[in-house]
Amino acid sequence: MDRPDLPFETNRLVLRTFSADDLADISDYYVLPQVQRYLDIGARDAGDVKRALNALRNQKRLQRPGDALALAVVRRVDSVVIGHVVLRWTDATASQAELRFVFNPIYGRQGYAREAVEAALELGFDRLGFHRMFARCSAMDERAARLLRQVGMRLEGHFREHKLFQGEWDDELHFAFLDREWRCGNKVTELTRYSVANSAA
Amino acid sequence: MVYAPAFPIETERLRLRPFSRGDVDAVYAYRRLDDVARYLFDETMDREAVTEVVQARIGHTALVAEGDKIFLAVEQREGHSPIGEVTLILRSEANRQAEIGYIFHPDFQGRGYATEAARELLRMGFDGAGMHRIYARCAAENIASARVMERIGMVQEAHFREHVFVKGAWDEELIYAIVEDTWRAEQGHRPGAA
Repeated sequence: MDRPDLPFETNRLVLRTFSADDLADISDYYVLPQVQRYLDIGARDAGDVKRALNALRNQKRLQRPGDALALAVVRRVDSVVIGHVVLRWTDATASQAELRFVFNPIYGRQGYAREAVEAALELGFDRLGFHRMFARCSAMDERAARLLRQVGMRLEGHFREHKLFQGEWDDELHFAFLDREWRCGNKVTELTRYSVANSAA
Repeated sequence: MVYAPAFPIETERLRLRPFSRGDVDAVYAYRRLDDVARYLFDETMDREAVTEVVQARIGHTALVAEGDKIFLAVEQREGHSPIGEVTLILRSEANRQAEIGYIFHPDFQGRGYATEAARELLRMGFDGAGMHRIYARCAAENIASARVMERIGMVQEAHFREHVFVKGAWDEELIYAIVEDTWRAEQGHRPGAA
């Protein structure tokens, strides 16, 4: 385990660990109400964001279960941090990891979140060898739920009113992917893209 | 919080009471069986291990802090030896969440005892301990257990695949749950309910 080779590049994005220089970029989205709405740890002011960034900067290795790897999602064209993904190693025996993510809504609707989450899955399954990766979101967070469905994760759980969150009973969705399913799914996607491109040509 | 009910608790056919040292033989009678261990995280147990388990269960009769468990031996009202056991666990005080569990000797399965005892656990959890949601888990292959959860009004909320590695194999787990409002609404429609 430990850490995959970074930075990890996709078509339009780079995933890399955080640095102190990222404060301005993450401040742009971290305190937004629609982002704060679904975060476990509240952040209101610059001091909170700085503390959050420090925590993210410290999450750079997976040495034992419980450790997290936080990656800034950087847009290649202008080097702006448009969000972050976190891989948290939860179980060594069963090789399980949780995927968490936050994106700046300003850059929404362009497929960046999907590209970043697919990259994180590739890191988790291909580079880190996890057997199962799961992601959770509030049932009210439609964008997150749609994204997790889009990348092909299976809805394994819908917990009703399992906790009080920001003063309301919260429903939580639990999505998961097994490594072999991810591998099949990926190939199917590539194949589809390929045949569609060919038939269009 | 403090939830420390008086014991024994009696249902139509059953008596729920704290464990005592005299229960080792009765518990060993089902904990040694493959059919019982198959669906538990525990392996089958020898008498010595059962003695430790029973010893560890004695005195767990109240919910005060998160993680506290009430372990109860279940007897037939006319009998004096446990035919199974049930558990009520305080999972979160702030969110008023509890978990229930049950194990019964196969000789006494198929008569609705688990259902009757589990119903009583819901009453304890909602009415006694003021919980908002109560859930239970079982192995995906443990159909009998899932049926019990359905009978007491729980709804399946999750089916986890290969989420843990237990006893040398991938485990699949079902989670069932019921929320306070649903439970209360159902109380009115069930004959014999108080």
